[in-house]
Amino acid sequence: MKLSKYLRNNFLIILLFIVITAITNLMLVSFKTDIQAILGIDITVIIGFILYIIYDFNRRKKFYNKFLNDLDLLDKKYLITEMIEKPNFYEGEILYDALYDIDKSMSEKIKEYSLSIADFKEYIELWIHEVKLPLASMNLIIHNHKELSDKKIIEQLKRIDDDVEQVLYYVRSENAEKDYLIKETELDRAISNVAMRNKDILLENNIDFEVEVGNKKVLTDSKWLEFIVNQIVSNSIKYIRDGVEHLIRITAEENSKSIFLKIYDNGIGIEKSDIPKVFDKTFTGNNGRKIETSTGMGLYIAKQLCKKLGHKITIDSKENEYTEVSIIFNKNDFLNVAK
Amino acid sequence: MKNILIVEDDKVISDELKNLLDNAGYNGIILKDFDNSLEEVKKINPDLILLDINIPKLNGELVLQKIRKESNVPIIMVTSKNSEADEVLSMSYGADDYITKPYNPTILLLRINAIFKRMENKNDVLTYNNLVVDPKKGIIKNEKKELILTKNEMIIFTFLLFNRGNIVTRDDLMTDLWNNNEYINDNALNVNISRLRTKLTDFGYEDAIETRKGQGYILK
Repeated sequence: MKLSKYLRNNFLIILLFIVITAITNLMLVSFKTDIQAILGIDITVIIGFILYIIYDFNRRKKFYNKFLNDLDLLDKKYLITEMIEKPNFYEGEILYDALYDIDKSMSEKIKEYSLSIADFKEYIELWIHEVKLPLASMNLIIHNHKELSDKKIIEQLKRIDDDVEQVLYYVRSENAEKDYLIKETELDRAISNVAMRNKDILLENNIDFEVEVGNKKVLTDSKWLEFIVNQIVSNSIKYIRDGVEHLIRITAEENSKSIFLKIYDNGIGIEKSDIPKVFDKTFTGNNGRKIETSTGMGLYIAKQLCKKLGHKITIDSKENEYTEVSIIFNKNDFLNVAK
Repeated sequence: MKNILIVEDDKVISDELKNLLDNAGYNGIILKDFDNSLEEVKKINPDLILLDINIPKLNGELVLQKIRKESNVPIIMVTSKNSEADEVLSMSYGADDYITKPYNPTILLLRINAIFKRMENKNDVLTYNNLVVDPKKGIIKNEKKELILTKNEMIIFTFLLFNRGNIVTRDDLMTDLWNNNEYINDNALNVNISRLRTKLTDFGYEDAIETRKGQGYILK
């Protein structure tokens, strides 16, 4: 709170004081009062007024400065009434009481919403586990009854499973709760699971799948990592380019600080102007328009999960040549991960 | 014949699982009485248990802990809970493996097979007629000579050998290869099978691997 602004705000009162003092002086002069008496009265009145201004400014300053300062420090601004004391001036009291009511109703609303979101999340997770049962039965039935079986049905089942997983991880990525567990994970095992998931569709589309990750280990949640890699590989499969031998190559590199997992494909690539937006929610871009099944959620969720796990994810691409997605893991950086 | 106990409350899944296990040469038994699961398990005395975590009236993890207190029977957790925490927890309670639904049935069989192999702890040497097959060293031999099989050829041969007399689909072979991180394509599979045939012919087994059109292969 600034004194100059406070004075400007109280301009009328100050003006009124000066005018009244002037009128009083004039009256006293016209009554032929002793000049020294007038001076004495003026000094007393002016000092009194200034003292009042200083007092009033200070009590307001004390309240508002703390108020603004606390507000600045607060992560959840609506909790401000928990931090400040009730002020000792009238408008301040009104403000304080009003804020208290507003915050209370806000907190109640927030609680209501977070409970309902938690309920919804719980239901979605439950539903996902339920829907996996018929999927599992169908996989078994197809396997056991070869006469019914058709690769196309298995592929469609896999699509359902992928979409269901996407919902599951969307729910996981959007919620503050930590339902992941970070431990040392072998890259080749995670990739092997992704490969197995996509085996049929890779073979069907004649896509060569090359993996050279050695025996590198990273600190991550293996299930989350599998989901992330599966999103990227699914994209590579979706966006293959005609006229070349299709290739997806997964490699790993490392330097003193990080391990890089690189997923390269020689697919249709991404238009330069679209690259910065591929991790945005529901962004589909030019490629998405070519392929009907794009929801624009896969890479967004992948990025959110990476953020939570403390990994970086970047993309590099040239249209009609290649796309390379890199996931960057911190090395033995327990502190960073634990955050 | 090995008895495998299926602890699963979804009837379709448990029936199909039994079907799958029976076809693969095991004896699948479905647990019916969940109220007395522990006594049932003791009575049946299976060689392996497929245990679902989410069974009404039954906490899979608790059952797992209780079984572990009394026996070392191999247990594979089969569940739709796809979470690292659940997996780590299950393994720490003494599960031997953890598979999430929906799983590839061939993979499930491979995992079961792997557990039995690990348990029997045989010296891993297999035989085919008068041939000695050593997957670890990657060789097949008889009294007179010895040939080296590549990793892929060995995976294919041992899979055929394990299912000897039964039809093995190309998909099964592919699954086993991919499961061993050999991400080969259809052409490469053809090449590997024909090389394997050549090597077997060298030992005098000319038509050992028979092609069944539209179905797969069979090792005679």
